Amino acid sequence: MRVQCQILSEDEKQRIHTESLKILEQIGVKFLSQRALKIMKDNGAKVDDDTGIAKISAEMVEQALKTAPKSFVLGGRDPARNVELPRPTAGYVLDLGGVFTRDFKTGERRYATLQDNNDAMRVFDEMALSSVVWPHSMAEGDTPNSNAIRLVLNSFMYSSLHVQDEFSEPEEVPYIYEAMAAILGSEDAVKQRKLYSVTYCTLAPLVHEGGMCDAYLDMIEFEAPILIYPMPCTGSTGPCSLFSNIAMGNAEALSSLVLFQMAHPGTPLIFGDASGSTDFASGGFLEGSPEMVLMTAALGEMARFYGLPNTQQGCQTDSKEPGPQAVMEKLVTTLPLVLSGADLVQGPGCLETSGCLCLEQIVIDEEIGGLCKRIRDGIDFSAAKNLYDDVAQIGPSGHFLMQDSTLEACRSDEFYAPKLFDRHTFERWSELGRPDTYSKARERVEEILATPQKNPLPDDVIGKLEEIMRKADEELN
Amino acid sequence: MSIEDIFQSILQLKRGEIADLVQAEIDAKTDVGVILEQGLINAMGEVGNQFTEGKLFVPEMLRAAETMKIGLEVLRPLLVEADIKPRGTVVIGTVAGDLHDIGKNLVGMMLEGAGFTVVDLGVDVAAKAFLDAAGEHQAELVAMSALLTTTMPVMADCIGRFKEANMNSRILIGGAPVNQDFAIKISADGYSSDAPGAVELAKKLVPAQ
Repeated sequence: MRVQCQILSEDEKQRIHTESLKILEQIGVKFLSQRALKIMKDNGAKVDDDTGIAKISAEMVEQALKTAPKSFVLGGRDPARNVELPRPTAGYVLDLGGVFTRDFKTGERRYATLQDNNDAMRVFDEMALSSVVWPHSMAEGDTPNSNAIRLVLNSFMYSSLHVQDEFSEPEEVPYIYEAMAAILGSEDAVKQRKLYSVTYCTLAPLVHEGGMCDAYLDMIEFEAPILIYPMPCTGSTGPCSLFSNIAMGNAEALSSLVLFQMAHPGTPLIFGDASGSTDFASGGFLEGSPEMVLMTAALGEMARFYGLPNTQQGCQTDSKEPGPQAVMEKLVTTLPLVLSGADLVQGPGCLETSGCLCLEQIVIDEEIGGLCKRIRDGIDFSAAKNLYDDVAQIGPSGHFLMQDSTLEACRSDEFYAPKLFDRHTFERWSELGRPDTYSKARERVEEILATPQKNPLPDDVIGKLEEIMRKADEELN
Repeated sequence: MSIEDIFQSILQLKRGEIADLVQAEIDAKTDVGVILEQGLINAMGEVGNQFTEGKLFVPEMLRAAETMKIGLEVLRPLLVEADIKPRGTVVIGTVAGDLHDIGKNLVGMMLEGAGFTVVDLGVDVAAKAFLDAAGEHQAELVAMSALLTTTMPVMADCIGRFKEANMNSRILIGGAPVNQDFAIKISADGYSSDAPGAVELAKKLVPAQ
């Protein structure tokens, strides 16, 4: 059987659901968007116009759960990289939410550039478990109001995967849709293929932002999937117990589900979570903690409780440098998600609490994903794996190295072959220059970036995307 | 009863006791300046030191600041009478477009603990509101924070407006996407990555009189 880890009992899931409904009905959620508030009011929420707080009934939640699709496909720019949700094994989302990059040549931490975004896309594209990319955040540049569009369109150019992003202004929407129509050849195909989805973060505790909400209500007509992504931080922006922080995060997610289903029934939603825990020594948001992954894994189980696809924050670290802390935290924040059956894990590629891209880390995280998948796949008890006859044939003493079954199995998935670990003898490892895991990861990055991009867009499409970016630069800045 | 009891009540987070302790010192005719400096502000200085050393956690530091504030409220009418002024005034807020205020709140409470008057403008604060408040309160310092990359340019815009208006307020910035280089680039007077650092900066920029 596949190895299964369960974070919540059935009773605990029901308790979280009940607590979340109580929060929605009795405390309510604040909407800074007047459009959103009107939608909530028109659909039966008790709205206080002075405070902007909407109290949402259990019936509204039930109705929204009925219309939310239980499965759909996130289209990859290359159809071979489509992501069907839900998934049997966890896929990974490249996390470029931060604004810093660790310079690949010098190791210095600096603000990210468009080139960093494109390099990361190319490296992640080569990773076996990669599913979705988030474009980098860019702090500066000559065209701040069209940065987000440049990053998304470049991500389409340098990645063959599904692109997921967060944007805050409705003005950005038409450019991105024009670009997708250019890539796919028609506007109809944009709705069908779903190359692009958006991340919707509520503002804990219990607030929906205005500009972002309006932008997503505009975009909903294109039937783009929305990742609902609450980020309550237990002990600071969330209550200081994992139980209540989960219940409040779940309430924020359910309120988003209600909003988007009431606005446009049938909108594909990913029921995700990016909760954090507080570093009580500094007040900072922690992503590499065991408490973080307990919460996001629990909310992954709540997504399955509701029958919805999910993306959970994991494979994260608060380490400032590549190294042991990064690897330990990323492993411990990936394994529970994989074992509990998360569809997508958002985290690879970043250090410093999602703040800093590190190209080598993408390769390291791929290895972590591979190791976790191997544990998840468990022990094969099929008849073909009962090798009693081999045991009988070899008998006491002797070896199994010459058996057909050994030859067949040695390159199979039953025996995970790490790409980065050293398993040589001490002498051979010394002769090789004592390579470490990160130096091997660096070699892999160098190799990928030194070879021509695989599967690029045709030149005429790239020309069209560049024209759209120029137009956005002119019109938005 | 002694000043030391007041000092210790803050370090031991005894918010239920401090008002009586301060009142007892007032009744004993202890100089209000001494109660303020040696009892309240010195205690918060020690709290800040312990926090920087990692001995105190944020919730403990905030409870200490709250305890100090209760004591200060008892003392305040006498401070006005004795014409004892706060160390300085700080106008604080998150810049326009940014609603993330947890770091800003932390800095505000610690600045109060260090003897500053804090005018908290809240979240999503327009440049004009910073300017108006700084003028109205004659603020020595303005502290701005941003969490979103999209709101970072707003900080530069604010600083530009302060310069245009010839305002003397010194400007501190903070927030996850901001760093020292960015602070220099936009001509901010200081940057800190955490709350105690912001207090140290504020003390440096506004020396005790």
